[in-house]
Amino acid sequence: MITVNGLAKIYAGKTVVDIAALQVQEGEIIGLVGNNGAGKTTFFRLLLDLIKADRGQIISREINVAASEAWKSYTSAYLDEGFLIDYLTPEEYFYFVGKLNNRSKADVDEFLKDFTDFFDGAVLKSGKYIRELSKGNQFKVGIAGCLLQNPDVLLLDEPFANLDPTTQMRLIKMLKEMHARRRLTIFISSHDLNHITDVSTRILLMEKGVIIKDLHTNNDTLSELEDYFKV
Amino acid sequence: MIKTLLGHQWKAFWRSRDAGKSMAIQLVIGFFTIYMLVSAIGLGFFLQLLLRKAYPGQDIIKIFYGFILYYFLFDVMIRFLMQDLPTLTIQPYLIQNIQRKQLIRFLNVRSLFTVLNLLPLLLFTPFIVMSIGTAHGYIVAAAFMAGILSLTVFNHFLVLYVKRKSIISSWWLVMFFVVMAVVIASDYYRIFSLSRISSVLFSFLQEHIWVCILLAGMAALAYFNNYSFLLKNLYLEDIVGKGRRKEGADYTFLNRFGTIGVLAGLDIKLILRNKRPRSIGILTIVFLFYGFIFYKEQYIKEGWWGALMAGGIFLTGLFVSNYGQFLFAWQSAHFDGLMASNLSVKTYIKSKFALFTAVCTIVLLLTSLYGLLSWKLLLIQLAGYLYNVGVHTVIAVFFATHSYKGIDIGKGSAFNYQGMSAEKWIYAMIVFLVPMIIYWPFALFINSWAGILALGIMGLLSFLLQDWWVDVLTKEFFKRKYKILSGFRER
Repeated sequence: MITVNGLAKIYAGKTVVDIAALQVQEGEIIGLVGNNGAGKTTFFRLLLDLIKADRGQIISREINVAASEAWKSYTSAYLDEGFLIDYLTPEEYFYFVGKLNNRSKADVDEFLKDFTDFFDGAVLKSGKYIRELSKGNQFKVGIAGCLLQNPDVLLLDEPFANLDPTTQMRLIKMLKEMHARRRLTIFISSHDLNHITDVSTRILLMEKGVIIKDLHTNNDTLSELEDYFKV
Repeated sequence: MIKTLLGHQWKAFWRSRDAGKSMAIQLVIGFFTIYMLVSAIGLGFFLQLLLRKAYPGQDIIKIFYGFILYYFLFDVMIRFLMQDLPTLTIQPYLIQNIQRKQLIRFLNVRSLFTVLNLLPLLLFTPFIVMSIGTAHGYIVAAAFMAGILSLTVFNHFLVLYVKRKSIISSWWLVMFFVVMAVVIASDYYRIFSLSRISSVLFSFLQEHIWVCILLAGMAALAYFNNYSFLLKNLYLEDIVGKGRRKEGADYTFLNRFGTIGVLAGLDIKLILRNKRPRSIGILTIVFLFYGFIFYKEQYIKEGWWGALMAGGIFLTGLFVSNYGQFLFAWQSAHFDGLMASNLSVKTYIKSKFALFTAVCTIVLLLTSLYGLLSWKLLLIQLAGYLYNVGVHTVIAVFFATHSYKGIDIGKGSAFNYQGMSAEKWIYAMIVFLVPMIIYWPFALFINSWAGILALGIMGLLSFLLQDWWVDVLTKEFFKRKYKILSGFRER
C-alpha cells in the first residue's frame, strides 16, 4: 500500500525524519509512538506532501505522492486545526467535504447519524462556527470529516490527546469496526501507550526521526514500550 | 504596574514576527507615517498664511474657530475606521495577580498611543501659539491647548466606547452612522451650521477660559464611561459573538457548478464571516461610488477618455485587486487541509478565476448605471471589465503563487500590514502599469478609442486563453507549493 524509500527531512542541518525503508501493507493499523521531536507529525506531513522531502520518496499505490495528486482521492487526514475551515458551521464543513468527495447532502446527513453518540450533542446544530467549538469538539469534527471521505488511507495525529475518555473509547471502537468492515490502512500517532497498543496491529517506535522499533502488536508489546519510556 | 505592562507592549511590538523580517515594509510604513506627521506640522505652521490668503481682510482667528468642530467631526469618522481596540493583549494578564482596575487603566492608557492622537496637536499647536497666543495672550492659548487636547481625548474614548458597544450589538454601528449622517446632512442643508456653533463655542472660550475645564470634564466623562464599561465587561470580549446562534448557509445556485462552485461559495463565506476580508468587501462596495469622482461631466464633455478609462478599469477591477492581493493567503489558516483534501490544485485555481469573473460581472452590471451619465462610459467599462477578467485575474493569481505570507483574517484591516511584502507593492505597480502599456501606444498613434478597443480585445483574448493560463499557473504553484505551505503555517 505504502512504501517509503530512503526518506529524509532536514531542518537547519538537523535530520528530523530519517526512514531508510518502510513497507506498509493494506489493512494495517500503524501506531506511531515516540517522544516530542521524534518526527511523527513531520512524517505525517511528508505522507501528505505538505512538506518537501530532502531525500527519498513515498509511494502510495504506485503513486509518488510528491509527483501526482491522485492519492488525494483515497487518503484523508486530520493533523490539527489547520485542517478545518473554522468559519464554517460543522454541518457546512461536512457538506463541503462531502461535495469534494461526491457525496450528496442527504448522503452526508445519513452518514452523520452514526456519529450521534460520538458528537455527544455538542457538534451538530450547535449554532456555532467551528472556531467557537472547544478543541476536543473541533477534533471530533476533524475525525468525522476524515471518515466521511471513505478513505483507504487514514492519518490521525494524536487523536486521543484532545478527546475526553469516553470519546477516546468510542473512537477506538469506531476505528476497529470500520477496519473490520473494510480493511483500510490507518496511521495513528499517540502518547497513550495503552490506547495505541489496543488499536494498532503494528507499532513503530520513533526516536529523533528514526524508526528504532517495528513491532507487530501482541501481548508483550505494551510492556516492551513501557520499558522504553521508563524514566 | 502600568509601566511594566507598557514595557511588554513595547517588546511585543518590536519582537512580533513581522518586525525585523521585512525592513522594506517597515521603512515604507515609517516613511508614510512621518510624511503624514510632517504634513500636519507643516499645515499647522502655514495655517495662518493659508487662512489669510483664503479669507483676505477677515479675522482669521474667528475663521479658525469655525473650523475646529469640523475637524473633530472628521476626526471621529477617521478614528472609527482606523482606531484599533487594544483588547486581546490582556488575556495572559487576567490570571496574574494584577488588579482588574489596573488592567483597565492599562488598556485605556495603551490605547492612547496612536498617531491619530498626535495629529490634532501637531496641526493646531502652531496656530494656537502663533496667532491666538500673540493676539489674546498665552493664558488664552493655554486654554485652547487644553480644549483641543480635551476634545482629542473625548473623541478617542467616545470612539472606543462606540466600537466596543458595536461589537456586542450592530445597532450601535447603525446608530453611529445615522447620527453622523444627520449631523453632516443638517449642516449641509443649513438646518444648523456646525461652523456657527464652533465659532460661538470657541469665541466664548476665548472670553471665558474656564470653559476649557468643561471640555476637560467631557473628556474625563468619556474616559470614565469607558472605564466603567470595561470594568463590568472585562470578560465580554472573549464571549462576544459566541452568544449569537450561527446558522449555516447553502448557496444552492453555486452547487450547479460542481466543485468550483462549492469553492467559490467557501470564498463568499470567508468574506462574510471574517473581519479582515469583510472590511475589504465593504470597502469594495464603498469604492463603487468612486465613479462619481472619476466620471466627471467635464471629462466626458472634453473627451478625456484616457482618464475615464483608468477609472473604468479601477471600478470594474476593484474586487480583483482587493481580494486578489491575498488570494491564497486568506485561506492560510486551513491551507494544509485544503491541500490534503480531495481537491486538485487545478480546480482550486480555476475556482479563483470563476469567483473573480462572477463578481466582476456583477460589478459591471451595477456600475452600468453610470451609463446614465454617458453611454460611452458603458463601452469604457466593458473594455475595463474584459481587461480585468482576462488579464488582471491572471496577474493576481500569478502573484498569489509567489506570496508566502499568511494572514490572520480575524483582525481588522486598517493599519494592518500583516501579510504585506515587497511582492504586494510590485503587484500594485504591475496592475497599474500593464493597462497603460496596452493603452498608450494605440492612444498616441491612433486615438483614445483605439487604445480602449485594444484593452478590450487584449482582455477578451486572454480570457479565451484562460484554460491555458490555469495550466501555466498550476505549474507555477507546484514550483513553490512547499514554500507557500510553510509560510502559511508560520503565520
